Amino acid sequence: MRRILEYGAVVVIALLLNFLLPRALPGGPMKLFGSPEALSRLTEAERAQIAQQYGFGRPLPEQFADYLTGVFTLDLGTSLSDGRPVAEAIGEALPWTLLLVGTSIVITCVLGVALGVLGALRRRRGGGAGLLGTAIVLDSLPAFWLGMLLIVVFGVQLNVLPTYGAGTLAHLVLPVTTLVVTGLGYFFLYTRSSMLTVLTSEPVQHAHARGVPYGRLVRRHALRPALLPVHTIVLMEIGFLAGGSIVIETVFAYPGLGRLTFGAISARDYPLMQGAFLVLTLMVVAMNAIADATYPLLDPRARQ
Amino acid sequence: MKYSAVLVFALVATLAACSGAPAQRPAAQAAKTVTIAISSDEGTLTPFTNESGYPGDNLVKLIFDTLLVQKGESVAPSLATAVETTDNKVFRLPLRTGVTWQDGRPFTAADVVFSVEFYRENLSGDSAIDVRPIRTVKADGDAVTMTLAAPDPEFPLRILSDMAMLPKHLWESVTKVNEAGTDKAIGTGPFRLTAYDKERGYTLTANPGYFGGKPKVDTVKVNVIPQETTQFAALRTGEVSLSVRNVPPQQRASLQSQPNIGIAEGTEFASTMLQFNTTRPPFDRAEVRRALAKAVDVRDLVKTALLGQGTPGNPGFVHPESPVGGPALPPLFDVEAAKRELDALGAKPGPGGVRTLDGKPMSYELLVQSTSTDRLRSAELIRDMLKNVGVEIKVTSLDPDSLDTKVWPDYDVKKGRNYDLTMWGWSAPVMQTSSQIVSLFDSDPEDGNLNIGGFADAGVDKAIDELKATTTPEKRAEAAAALQQKIAEQLPFLTLYYRNGAYAYRKDAYAGWTWQNGLGVLHSGSFVG
Repeated sequence: MRRILEYGAVVVIALLLNFLLPRALPGGPMKLFGSPEALSRLTEAERAQIAQQYGFGRPLPEQFADYLTGVFTLDLGTSLSDGRPVAEAIGEALPWTLLLVGTSIVITCVLGVALGVLGALRRRRGGGAGLLGTAIVLDSLPAFWLGMLLIVVFGVQLNVLPTYGAGTLAHLVLPVTTLVVTGLGYFFLYTRSSMLTVLTSEPVQHAHARGVPYGRLVRRHALRPALLPVHTIVLMEIGFLAGGSIVIETVFAYPGLGRLTFGAISARDYPLMQGAFLVLTLMVVAMNAIADATYPLLDPRARQ
Repeated sequence: MKYSAVLVFALVATLAACSGAPAQRPAAQAAKTVTIAISSDEGTLTPFTNESGYPGDNLVKLIFDTLLVQKGESVAPSLATAVETTDNKVFRLPLRTGVTWQDGRPFTAADVVFSVEFYRENLSGDSAIDVRPIRTVKADGDAVTMTLAAPDPEFPLRILSDMAMLPKHLWESVTKVNEAGTDKAIGTGPFRLTAYDKERGYTLTANPGYFGGKPKVDTVKVNVIPQETTQFAALRTGEVSLSVRNVPPQQRASLQSQPNIGIAEGTEFASTMLQFNTTRPPFDRAEVRRALAKAVDVRDLVKTALLGQGTPGNPGFVHPESPVGGPALPPLFDVEAAKRELDALGAKPGPGGVRTLDGKPMSYELLVQSTSTDRLRSAELIRDMLKNVGVEIKVTSLDPDSLDTKVWPDYDVKKGRNYDLTMWGWSAPVMQTSSQIVSLFDSDPEDGNLNIGGFADAGVDKAIDELKATTTPEKRAEAAAALQQKIAEQLPFLTLYYRNGAYAYRKDAYAGWTWQNGLGVLHSGSFVG
């Protein structure tokens, strides 16, 4: 019950921030209603009329009340830039992002965890050091830079993959590869660190002293506790990546939630920003809640 | 991000240089499909819902026609077959007969009357036209007559060639113009909007019954690709046929070396200037502005920041090839004269070589838009140039919205300004007619709606009044020349340069692009005729 209340408080604070932050940005949605030159000809009364008509000119408490009512009645309002219901815009973009992020997370997780375990087991050998060095390099690669590199190599030079867009499996290859390569280092380093901690812990050392074979020691005694924090990281990453794929979706002109959010921020489209932020907030909170709920299932100690 | 951009550019340039040249294919003068890359969504492509002047308005004008079209520095018939006037105040426009809207309904004089009245009631929208100078509009059989509040010889170019005609039967029910959907994107133009996906783009299909002849391209696909580098990569692979991004000077040689890529280039009337806040000392004094302007070598800016791909600024603002006309005045650059004039103003060198004027060091902040590479480079060069005459400049880079908030809050000059100096630019339409140019200088904020420096000078106001009173093109050109002379003396801003337009396209996909000064290549003339 206490945990539910905590999550509720987080959501309420997030709703408040989602409402206030767009309005704290310089500029405003007026630029959606014409070029600066055209807007400069409008009188104060004409500007006020537009702001009133489209809702962003009303008093802030009134706007906030409308926003809250909308959230609880699942009516996220209408986009100022094209008059489309916000829920419809998000509904169209979200599946693309889930496809991109879901595919990337699965591949990154499997590869990162496998390599992380390998890196920990071979920490004193040349291969382990090589893996560690590679992971640090990958972790520091800017996604934007890598995306452009892949476009130039596989799109322009080899001409084997499309450089932008979505709709076929081929369109997914470059953005997924970018997310996997730039995310791999994080999973690798986390798994390796967790595995090393477990391998040097007292229970595992005792098991080793008792003569438990090394392979069994790793599988039965080390792997499971070592992957517990990784499970949390995976869920957190899903929440964050939905918003964090903005750069990738922009580079590859991929029609997902990240690009929709970027466009909404650039245009100062308040209803669309609020809606997109809300979805991102709920995803992060939901993934945290799932992590909290499933952790005790994986670790009996947490049930006490 | 900046570091990454440099790396990407270096990478692209290196790989491009290493690659073998693909075989050259013949240039296509007609095509089944042309794919155009734009940088962001442009709404539902009606005159009230496009997001930008360029390329949004250009795309809207592929669907919607105007009564006249700009041709060179003049106008040519479109939905109107002629312009009849004796006093440049009453204009009679015979309309083309037999024209239909893309939904099959006939285009009539009632649609023209409706369009004018609709624009009068709905001033917002990127392609919405300010029709307030039109006092009355009347249908007269197959013609319309428009009477202006005052004579305006530039009326055909400024309004008639820019005002997209709206079908009355579809638009009379529209109350919220910003929410007009694709069902309202029905014009008489060469293309019809047949598909729209906000995140991916548009499909425009040729209108076979177009009065100007069947378009040379069957389908125009317009894809949204936000990143410039991705647009050019897709152009190299042939996934897109034209990028609407002006090719950066640094990338031009690399693109031009590709056998299947052509560059359409010409004059654009977009301007870049060093704007003074003339309400803040010492920039409220013309002699200070003049002295500083003489320290800035605009030719060097063109050579260094634009790699030569531009025209040095006319101190009188107007591009030498603009329809406004008037003599191009020579650049003011003269470092020694700048030093002498600053000395004469009593600005003596102080600590660190920085002059002191009226007891204050001549140290100022220069704002610049962080997203514009050539303006950032120019700002740094100006900082160095002004240092040579003992004036310290601190360059501050801001995102476009933060910059606008300081320079032009709410796009309303009546709300004041908060800056010393800023790099600024005006889009091409501002340079098209003298009626628009005066809005940069008029001290009355109602008429000087683009006077972002808060400039006020009685002599300039008088020159503006004289210009507005002219009733013939010849007299107006003379008055415009006189105004430019005054501006060059007063210098509310220093016009630095006009960047050339250069647009990359696939020659093997479609090579029928025709250049129109001020519009570039994305206009109906590239597809028809």
